[in-house]
Amino acid sequence: MSSSCPVGYPLPWAPAPDIPESWTTLREQPLLEIKLPSGEPAFLVTWYKDVRRLFADERLSRNTFGRASRVSASNDLFGDPNIDNDPPRYLTERAVVMRAFSARRIEALREVVRRIVEELLDAMEAGPRPAELMEAFAYPLPILVICHMLGVPPQDRPKFRRLIDGFLSVTRLPVDEVEECRRQYWDYLTELIDSKRAEPGDDLISELIEISREDPARLTDYQLQHWVKTLLIAGYVTTASQLGTSMAVLLHRPEATAELKADLSLVPSAVEELLRYQMMGTSLGTLRYAVEDIELLDGTTVIPKGSTVLLSQESNMDSEEFDDPLTLDIRRTDNHHLTFGAGIHFCAGAALARMELQEATEALLRRFPGLRLAVPGEELKRPVGGFLAGYAEIPVSW
Amino acid sequence: MGSLRVSASRDSCVTSSLCVYRLPQVFDQDAEGRVVVVDEEPPDELRRELLRARRGCPTRSIRVEGPGVGDDEDGGGAQ
Ligand code: HEM
Ligand code: SF4
Repeated sequence: MSSSCPVGYPLPWAPAPDIPESWTTLREQPLLEIKLPSGEPAFLVTWYKDVRRLFADERLSRNTFGRASRVSASNDLFGDPNIDNDPPRYLTERAVVMRAFSARRIEALREVVRRIVEELLDAMEAGPRPAELMEAFAYPLPILVICHMLGVPPQDRPKFRRLIDGFLSVTRLPVDEVEECRRQYWDYLTELIDSKRAEPGDDLISELIEISREDPARLTDYQLQHWVKTLLIAGYVTTASQLGTSMAVLLHRPEATAELKADLSLVPSAVEELLRYQMMGTSLGTLRYAVEDIELLDGTTVIPKGSTVLLSQESNMDSEEFDDPLTLDIRRTDNHHLTFGAGIHFCAGAALARMELQEATEALLRRFPGLRLAVPGEELKRPVGGFLAGYAEIPVSW
Repeated sequence: MGSLRVSASRDSCVTSSLCVYRLPQVFDQDAEGRVVVVDEEPPDELRRELLRARRGCPTRSIRVEGPGVGDDEDGGGAQ
């Protein structure tokens, strides 16, 4: 192990919607010593092949609460001592929820998504220019979709957004405010679930209530609420940030934008490439705890037992896996990026997020052929002190 | 025809739905969202996409066998 000073994490971004070139040489150190925003130590695994393999390695536990380094000094984030995130227990629980994310179920939502997209873009078209893409489109779309899927009343939006925003603070809010948001969010969900118990609807919360009623061993009341909590957060925050950064990265490259506009059948591969090129996230969401020593593929480096590990999303830029990784190639094939993770914690909502990103990208380019960033890419502002990177505001014109 | 053989592990499938989107003529899902192979001997012209499906599976739940198909997770030269 090198004795060099740990690198501050998240790694610094490039000023424009570009990936810093230094990410392509991260692999020179298969295991990078880093310092989390909490100030606590961790390791970043940098090789794509190691990351992919270790996502599926049970020696890296996702039960990190109380034993791993923390992401934030003021917030336990997703850590919950009452939830077992490791197999075998976790698999039964996850399987209950995943029925709602099969290709068939996601495709059944595509028409709903199309309708929401068209309505939001009607309003954007009728509104002032430049428009602010995050609030006009990138946030409301996944929020309305996840509300529809879960059966959350859309008028609750301002309430749960404020609470979730507080819940996801890494350095922005003091510990007592974070705790207050966490508590109020949990209470909000208790009320919501109670109202569904009293009056079930044609939605995922009601479906999960029914399953847990039939067989509480598969999904306890607490686990049910924990899943609803996670799905509502993960269901829009990530997709909104990704949609925003996807558009920023794309519109910052007028040739790629023109190429895509000229052939909208490229939307699925472009969406995939923009996911690979993602700049909305960091690897903080992949926090793991090593329950044993784990050797890396270079044959010499070992993750020491008891250490905290991040599986790098930055490995989407590993040149051993991706040709010309810094080039945004909207026709890229064999694009097995790790933006949704891998292994048993592979993103539950990946197919939904993809479908929303496809519909959103297609409709934006079709309806606003002149769409462009209204400020230079270098001037786009990133949010401060939260869990996700992304962009705070994306002014666009057409 | 019939030289390729495909199977998938329902138990380790995590419902990523990736294989179903890539090759709906070969992969489907049951009511719980777990993988089901609907064509166990798909035609040879699907070889490349099958190897991509195998490589893309987040839990390595897909097996493809047949002449010239390596069994390493890198998909025997899928490009
Ligand atoms: C572009 C958007 C999204 C990105 C980039 C993303 C990314 C990720 C990643 C990397 C993980 C794995 C974390 C780990 O390994 O510990 C994950 C897990 C998860 N995601 Fe997503 N996600 C997105 C959208 C969604 C949506 C729309 C939903 C729900 C509707 C969702 C629900 C979840 C859940 C529940 C998990 C935990 C799964 C588990 O631990 O088994 N995500 N996501
Ligand atoms: S790609 Fe793998 S995990 Fe995803 S649905 Fe197919 S078999 Fe299941």
